[in-house]
Amino acid sequence: MHSIFAPVSPQAIAVTHLWWWMFGVGAFIWVLVTVLALWAVRARSGAREVDALMHVAPAAHHRAERVVSGSIFVTVLILAGFLAYDFSVGRALATHPAQALTIQVTGHQWWWDAIYEDSNPSKQVETANEIHVPVGEPVQLKLVAADVIHSFWAPNLNGKRDLIPGYASTLWFRADTAGIYRGQCAEFCGLQHAKMAFYIIAEPRAKFMAWLAAASTPPAPPTDSGLMAGRRVFMSSGCALCHTIGGTDARATIGPGLTHFKSRATLAAGTLANTRANLTRWIRDPNAIKPGVHMPAIPLSDAQLNSLVSYLETLK
Amino acid sequence: MKPLRPTADAAALPSVTFGQRSMMWWGTLGFMTIEGWTIALLVAAYLYLRQNYVAWPPLRTPNPSLLIPTINLALMLVSIVPVWITARAAARLDTAAVKRWLVLTCIIELPILVLRWWELWALNTRWDTTAYGSAAWTIVGFHTSLLLFDVLDTYGLTLFYFLRRQPVKTFSDTADNSFYWYFTIGIWIPIYLIVYVGPRIA
Amino acid sequence: MTPDRADRADGAPLPVVLTLSESELAGDAAALDAAWRDRPGLWGWLTAVDHKSIGRRYIITAFLMFLAGGIEAALMRAQLARPENTLLGPDRYNQIFTTHGTTMMFLFAVPMMTAMGLYFVPLMVGARTVAFPRLNAFGYWTYVVGVVFLYVSLFANTGPDAGWFAYVPLSGPQYSPGHRVDVWAQVVTFTEIAALCAAVNVIVTVFKMRAPGMSLNRIPLFVWAQLVVAFMIVFAMPAVATGSTLMLATDRAVNMHWFNPAEGGDALLWQHMFWFFGHPEVYIIFLPALGMITPIVETFCRRPVFGYTAIVMANITTAFFAFGLWVHHMFATPIPELGESLFTAASMVIAIPTGVQIFCWIATMWLGRARLTVPMLFVLGFIFTFVNGGITGVMLASVAFDKQAHDTFFVVAHLHYVLLGGGVMPLFGAFYFWFPKVTGRILNATLGKVHFWLFLIGVNVTFFPMHILGLEGMPRRVYTYLAPTGWGPLNLVASIGAVTIALSVLVFLINAIRSWTHGEPAGENPWDSSGLEWAVPSPPPSYNFLHSPVVRSRHPLWDTDVELPVVTGLRTDRKEVLITSTFDAMPDSRHSSPEPSIWPAYLALCMGVVFIGSIFSPYYVLGGLGLSMIGLFGWGWQSSKRIESELVAVPNGAMVERA
Repeated sequence: MHSIFAPVSPQAIAVTHLWWWMFGVGAFIWVLVTVLALWAVRARSGAREVDALMHVAPAAHHRAERVVSGSIFVTVLILAGFLAYDFSVGRALATHPAQALTIQVTGHQWWWDAIYEDSNPSKQVETANEIHVPVGEPVQLKLVAADVIHSFWAPNLNGKRDLIPGYASTLWFRADTAGIYRGQCAEFCGLQHAKMAFYIIAEPRAKFMAWLAAASTPPAPPTDSGLMAGRRVFMSSGCALCHTIGGTDARATIGPGLTHFKSRATLAAGTLANTRANLTRWIRDPNAIKPGVHMPAIPLSDAQLNSLVSYLETLK
Repeated sequence: MKPLRPTADAAALPSVTFGQRSMMWWGTLGFMTIEGWTIALLVAAYLYLRQNYVAWPPLRTPNPSLLIPTINLALMLVSIVPVWITARAAARLDTAAVKRWLVLTCIIELPILVLRWWELWALNTRWDTTAYGSAAWTIVGFHTSLLLFDVLDTYGLTLFYFLRRQPVKTFSDTADNSFYWYFTIGIWIPIYLIVYVGPRIA
Repeated sequence: MTPDRADRADGAPLPVVLTLSESELAGDAAALDAAWRDRPGLWGWLTAVDHKSIGRRYIITAFLMFLAGGIEAALMRAQLARPENTLLGPDRYNQIFTTHGTTMMFLFAVPMMTAMGLYFVPLMVGARTVAFPRLNAFGYWTYVVGVVFLYVSLFANTGPDAGWFAYVPLSGPQYSPGHRVDVWAQVVTFTEIAALCAAVNVIVTVFKMRAPGMSLNRIPLFVWAQLVVAFMIVFAMPAVATGSTLMLATDRAVNMHWFNPAEGGDALLWQHMFWFFGHPEVYIIFLPALGMITPIVETFCRRPVFGYTAIVMANITTAFFAFGLWVHHMFATPIPELGESLFTAASMVIAIPTGVQIFCWIATMWLGRARLTVPMLFVLGFIFTFVNGGITGVMLASVAFDKQAHDTFFVVAHLHYVLLGGGVMPLFGAFYFWFPKVTGRILNATLGKVHFWLFLIGVNVTFFPMHILGLEGMPRRVYTYLAPTGWGPLNLVASIGAVTIALSVLVFLINAIRSWTHGEPAGENPWDSSGLEWAVPSPPPSYNFLHSPVVRSRHPLWDTDVELPVVTGLRTDRKEVLITSTFDAMPDSRHSSPEPSIWPAYLALCMGVVFIGSIFSPYYVLGGLGLSMIGLFGWGWQSSKRIESELVAVPNGAMVERA
């Protein structure tokens, strides 16, 4: 689920082929040179008569010259082969699709924000850490960094691309097999670089469209009094200073959007399964799970916490 | 250990040499290369940052003034004359002439250093306003540290000549001091052109 | 080319001394030692300028840094041994991995390689000392200031934590408040100054102080490697010094905007500055290590190396190409694709000169009869380990593959195969080879073999699994990983390998300490080797050579003549060195060499005040510069001491005698 050995996009497949070729040739050379060196040592060390210092017979020297220059020639040939193969793969990867689903991905310390572009701004969908894409269709990612440098890398789909403040870059892939592919930030970005994962969920077009439609409609406001209490906690205890919940007054974008929070499988950038118990643990003390995380622990009574979690659990 | 067989006697060789025959000259050349290369890298960075701007100097930033920098450049070029004469006198092992011209060199080098202060402000921007300001200040600032070191070297050397009778070797060091001054002034010319004149023609 | 009689560079033949009695030779030794010896006691230790004292200290300090970096590595491996381990939190882990990289690259590898040069280059070229002994001491003390500063900071919980590469903006004022990154920037400055001092020293020593007759085509290959690397240092180190001191530190201290995109600065500029240094850095470590292999192979195969000229050319080509590859560290950044292809090609081409050197050594082994001594085992270990790292290096040159492998454990595996295989293995071989010269005693061979096998196994068990981890998606510089990733078992294997490496280094330490006092006495030339360093007693006397040797081949001690030709006539009552011409190494002049001096240590301390103080207040900078005035004056004053009578070669060609 997170490896270059199970590529599912044309890009990743090309690179994995390249890798296996280089691995084969490289392993062969490694063994060959080692054997050659051992043989060179062993070949003559058996004869134990007093060695005439410095004397090298001209014939032997010429032979050595031929062997060495031959080896260099072969080295050059192999390198030229690698170079040609690499350039052809590079060229194939450089072709961009004419039309693609475009998602803007922003790297934050330490989570990922994803906005599905739409010509109608009200239909833009924003989510975090879990990116749904249709199978078999090109997807273009526009990558930007909100704070420091991050690097977007889902090895089964394509190579990595750095997100650098002041620069915009793009990455595209086409997931040909449905599945859930893990990725993780690859550029050291501070305390929680280790826990900055994301998932790419490739699903058939119909399922994807259904997800997108659901994601563009804000959840219905709660009617149950317990849930309304939870919502009040959210609005008044500081949560709303950082997070957005669609259809409410919470519109801050410092932390991940929570509009359809419960539709996500994981919490805290792929760190925990999105269960009630984990969510409670996370809100009570985020630092215990991701030391250094920017989300503060807000002092809440057990009742407040309970109703807040109940409310968040309804954001499907 | 093999027995030694003497083949030649070094006692007839000179013990003081000038220029390429002296180690100090090579050492000076080594540090000049390092410093010159550092300036080259800074200038490369300056030109690299320039690509980030639509206007150069950036909008609302005035061009550097040319008056003080040009006066100082002229002064620097003039200073080469006494420095060069000092080196010639040192090569003749002429203590009196060396002392005389060193004093003159000290006199002309001081205003160069003093004018450098206004030369920095002639950039007409601060180091902490834009990256342009940072780059310009750093280049001129780094060159100032070379200039300062060189002036101090000249002053120290002059002082030595007056404090006690110097060994002959000091003449060679004096010539190397001149050599270093040519470098310090020589490297300033491109800096002047790029940092002070450049923004006007861009 | 060089006749029996060493002629002067200006063509005039030198008077020939025909005989020298035994007593004259012996008398010379006592007088020379009196003139060249450093002073006794603590003061003598602080004022030492003998290149061997400084070199030995440098080597020992750098080795201590290897141990410190190793302990940090062990801590990291302990933390990563199982998923979600809590031995080290992210804050501590980040300090430790940053300090590990900074220590190994800046405080171990480069200083170790330059230190080996500062100790051995004068001995190998037949000189009494280095060109600038006080500059040498100054470089060492500056380095010590950096070492102490980094480790005091680390123990004060102010260890740098933005990586040894300190990418902005993470290392910038906004995202790294406090002084941790400042510590990093200044430690880098100190080691840059030290490395540059060493480089200038090596260049001038090789250019001007070679034994008469040691023309360019007779320079020992280790010296060639040191010379090439010294030039690389001159052009590489200013890039990182500029980046760290003039850009990063000023951004942090006085609000400059070099890297701030909001004010026209550029985050990628840092990466260019850093890698323009960072890639040559690898070769700055690697080329001297290759230079150590040649004499080992020659000695234990009892053959001159095959392809001397090819190896020299390989060194020079490598140095040139090393400056054309830095962008291959930046393939994942948004830079133009055409540029990427050029850097790919250059990164692959650089494999050729290294291949040439390896083939030449294999040919030498084949032509000779190898004795499998401990240094030779390390050479074989080098070939096995390094070739692997070289091959993965070629793979990483491919943009397409690099975008997958970059910043993963695959790269961690690659760089450790290169640096441990290509740097540390030859270095250990060199320790076994030259330890007798430095200490007068031979390292125990049995313990040496145990050390070798444990090290070889340890390196491969630690780092081979990391290739797979990287391809399975494990990024670098993570303080932990989640269990479902499945990275646990291979990480555990790697951690077990790290224990093996630690054991092997422990064996070496025990061996070194025991052998230093109780080892078998070495004598002058225990391996029947061919270089000039083996023509002097072990350990070498303070003045190195009784008389300046005259060189008539690449292998002076393997020449068949029964006598060693020498140039006599250098003064014995004070320090005097023989200067020769740059290309042909003809005797040209005599220069006096400085007496022991406290000013190098004093000035290094002043530099400490300037650079460490710059973190806190500009007044420290001014104060430190003011204090260093005293040092500069003292330094110059010491140089300008009168000596009775001099023969002066004035620039117009005349020779004058001056009192």
